[in-house]
Amino acid sequence: MTSENRSVFGAALSRRGFVKAGGALVVGFGLVGAKAATTRNSLDASLPESWIEIHPDNTILIRTGKSDFGQSTTFTAYRQIVAEELNARFEDITTVVMGDTDRTPDGSGAFDFLGSGTPNIRKAAAYTYQALLDVASQRLGVAKGQITAKDGKVSGGGKSFSYGELVKGQQLKLTIPVKGDLTSLMGLTVDGIPPLKPVSQYTVIGKPYRNSVTASKVAAKEQWATDVRLPGMLHARMVHPKNLGATLISAGTLDKNKFPNAQLVVKGNLVGVVAPTEWEAIKAAQQVESGTKWKEWKGLPGHARLFDYLKRDADWKTTKVTQSDKTKGDVAPAMTGAAKKLSATYQLPYMKHAPMGPTLAVADVRKDGSVFIYTHNQNPQALRGEIAQMMGTTVDNVVVRTFSGPGHYGRSNGGNAGAEDEAVILSQAVGKPVRVQWMRPEDFQWSTQSPAALSDVEIGLDASGKMIAYQIDHYMPAMQDDRPIGAVLAGMPTMAAPNEKAVFVQSTVNDIQDPWLYDGVRTLVERGHGTFQVGQKASPLAVGLRDHSMRTPGQYQQNYPRELAVSEAAALAGADAIQFRIDHTKEERAIGVLKAAREASGWETRPAPKKAAASGGLLRGQGVSVMLRSATYWACVAQIAVNPSTGAITVEKCTIAVDPGIVVNPMQLKRQVEGGTVMGVSHTLLEELQFDESGITSRDWRSYPILKMADIPEIKVVLLNNPKVGTYGGGSEAANALAAPAIAAALFDATGKAVRRLPLKPEYVAGVLKA
Amino acid sequence: MATLVVNGARREVQAPADTPLLYVLRNDLELSGPQFGCGLAQCGACSVLMDGKEIRSCVTPLSAAAGKEVTTLEGLPGRWAQQKGLSAADAAKTLHPVQQAWIEEQTPLCGFCQNGMMIKATELLEKTPAPSVAEIKAAFTTSGPSAHLCRCGSYTAIIEAVQRAGAMMGGKR
Repeated sequence: MTSENRSVFGAALSRRGFVKAGGALVVGFGLVGAKAATTRNSLDASLPESWIEIHPDNTILIRTGKSDFGQSTTFTAYRQIVAEELNARFEDITTVVMGDTDRTPDGSGAFDFLGSGTPNIRKAAAYTYQALLDVASQRLGVAKGQITAKDGKVSGGGKSFSYGELVKGQQLKLTIPVKGDLTSLMGLTVDGIPPLKPVSQYTVIGKPYRNSVTASKVAAKEQWATDVRLPGMLHARMVHPKNLGATLISAGTLDKNKFPNAQLVVKGNLVGVVAPTEWEAIKAAQQVESGTKWKEWKGLPGHARLFDYLKRDADWKTTKVTQSDKTKGDVAPAMTGAAKKLSATYQLPYMKHAPMGPTLAVADVRKDGSVFIYTHNQNPQALRGEIAQMMGTTVDNVVVRTFSGPGHYGRSNGGNAGAEDEAVILSQAVGKPVRVQWMRPEDFQWSTQSPAALSDVEIGLDASGKMIAYQIDHYMPAMQDDRPIGAVLAGMPTMAAPNEKAVFVQSTVNDIQDPWLYDGVRTLVERGHGTFQVGQKASPLAVGLRDHSMRTPGQYQQNYPRELAVSEAAALAGADAIQFRIDHTKEERAIGVLKAAREASGWETRPAPKKAAASGGLLRGQGVSVMLRSATYWACVAQIAVNPSTGAITVEKCTIAVDPGIVVNPMQLKRQVEGGTVMGVSHTLLEELQFDESGITSRDWRSYPILKMADIPEIKVVLLNNPKVGTYGGGSEAANALAAPAIAAALFDATGKAVRRLPLKPEYVAGVLKA
Repeated sequence: MATLVVNGARREVQAPADTPLLYVLRNDLELSGPQFGCGLAQCGACSVLMDGKEIRSCVTPLSAAAGKEVTTLEGLPGRWAQQKGLSAADAAKTLHPVQQAWIEEQTPLCGFCQNGMMIKATELLEKTPAPSVAEIKAAFTTSGPSAHLCRCGSYTAIIEAVQRAGAMMGGKR
């Protein structure tokens, strides 16, 4: 380092020409396209221009590894955050580059965009702003403290420059400190603590800016992943195994008379058909499938026996039991001495992420060994690593480009969406670019699911109705299987299947994910029990029911039993369910959202169940749930009607109160909350994966129905802007998880019957009500 | 070979007669509005208007579209311009009120289903310029081959956008 280098807030600044810093060649401030440095086909994340380019015409470009999947964050919140930290205008940020592995610096997935308030892009902008001030100080001839920066201009000493003028020809050197592994789940993290703009000076954050990609999607001008066509590209359809454990006996013969241009590719248990046109590929694949023979396999419990299997037969011993760090006191004597006790088991089925479009990808394995993938993926850098592993090459030979597509809700946040690896395998086999598009049944039957779970809860109340002991044991199979399925079927290298020794998400360990809110409870035990995926060990394909995190992952499976049990405990105590929660917590923001939901919903303060005269008509009830996720507090009140003879539930109204701290964009947050709520009602009333002893039998929207427009509740969203928190939490998750415990509690309120398994389908509900 | 009129222009297509219209529109005519969602007429992502009526292009063979007028999402501005008698210059810079309302209400989340939602909204508003919420829900749930499905849960925003589009198109209640 030269003598003029100095460390500013963790970032190394230098004023001299080209110097080596952190192993990377540091080049000039970003006037031109960012340059690759250490790894071919990668940006050097330590260079400011890899993140943010300020152009001579005062337009600004930002780059992020995080792809927008409908959250709107990269096109709205990220632009607002960068504009704020740079003291530029929202409109100055004209370009957002996201997801492409060779054009973005940091990786990680389409989740936790706001990073509890300090996402990478915010820190990169804050560092860049300090560097800008440094240049400005020199140009204006005044100290940094005397510079005013506003709307993309700096002023001081009687002079003024736009940012574009300021950076033109400049050789400012700034090294952004980063740590982590680019192709890991979490990617790179910007390190250090740059000075951040005080909240009191915000002018851009908090305003309802529109999502810039909406206009192109609405006008049919967006390039979707479904639109990617390469010269010489072939269309492909897969012939997936007959079930989740079926190995190939023999592939059917392709009828060359009918399909003269098609080709059959077989590699291990992977069978695919390629053809110049999509329709020929579809018909040829159907013809091959009819003649393909698979070994019979049975090794799953079937959905009707699922919870018996999980309770009695699954291996919960091999995997370490976890405990939350909130564990306190001695639960056993408190429970023994309790005046009243609730003891219950809650069950939640497998659910599908069910994107509106089945997975697809185009891959081009080139003669020089490089691999290009054009897809729609929540974690392109992780996918890049997985493809490199599969192909036995290094990541610098793999490029993943990301395009718009259907929401995945977590399904591809560990890299693989389903079709990418298969497209690579087929492209390598035929020597041409190949587009693999899964059909609808394949997308239900060969993709991952959100894991089923069950929880045993015991709650002890004292004579005054206060919770004095709370014990919960959560049971859930491994939640994240990121092995590319095509690579597994073809027998090519992948990461290991989820196991007890793996670290982080690929492990069978079931961590406590739902932050405890009831600190007024004297004794507490929360335990997590993990196991292998159902069928994973029995399947000759090592497949079974593969799981993957889904919107509010893990926490969904843990918050539903907790919140429903707390509502039942309130009833046992003869207390109002909202007041009962408030009386057991000291967390002001939890109390704030509960009170806001109470007020906005027209909640009746009284104990449940409602003593309604059953007049043969509908029964009505109310229920509540509360959650802390990604630094945001949530409460939901559901008001329902149920027909006691048919068990049919109508969710009439959902009121959601949200306190994320600072609301970055009220319009976009409201839409996210509404959407998440609809998804949550859908989960609660309708969704349950159907499977038999061999495989998944849900195959389309009839066998896996989701909520239709006619069945949506009135949705009321209350946004609590809470600037004194000083930062902003996430808003795209959680809403989908709030509905289930609130609706089930409302059903209890309406009927006096505890219904403890999801989904709340009419025949099941009617059965419980009659019992 | 088949001849059809797509977004006001006569197009000749070489694809086999049994090819679903969706693949013809996307692959042969390079239109990106209609999306492949299910191939089973169960979701509505592939919807187009055929002689003004919403159909599912994923299950409609090319032969059934021959000689018909097909309007895709790309063709909505032209359809509106023609209905309003706008000049070619004005038409080129105009979106259909349904599209404009979708932007103003910030309706799409991922947006994958919204092609079909906007096609359905156009069909509805051409017949019922000021629909009630119940009429909107019925149109999107029971009026077609299947309900129009949105996994992101944008239904509330769609209802608001349909009402806004209706008002922009001059519908009065």
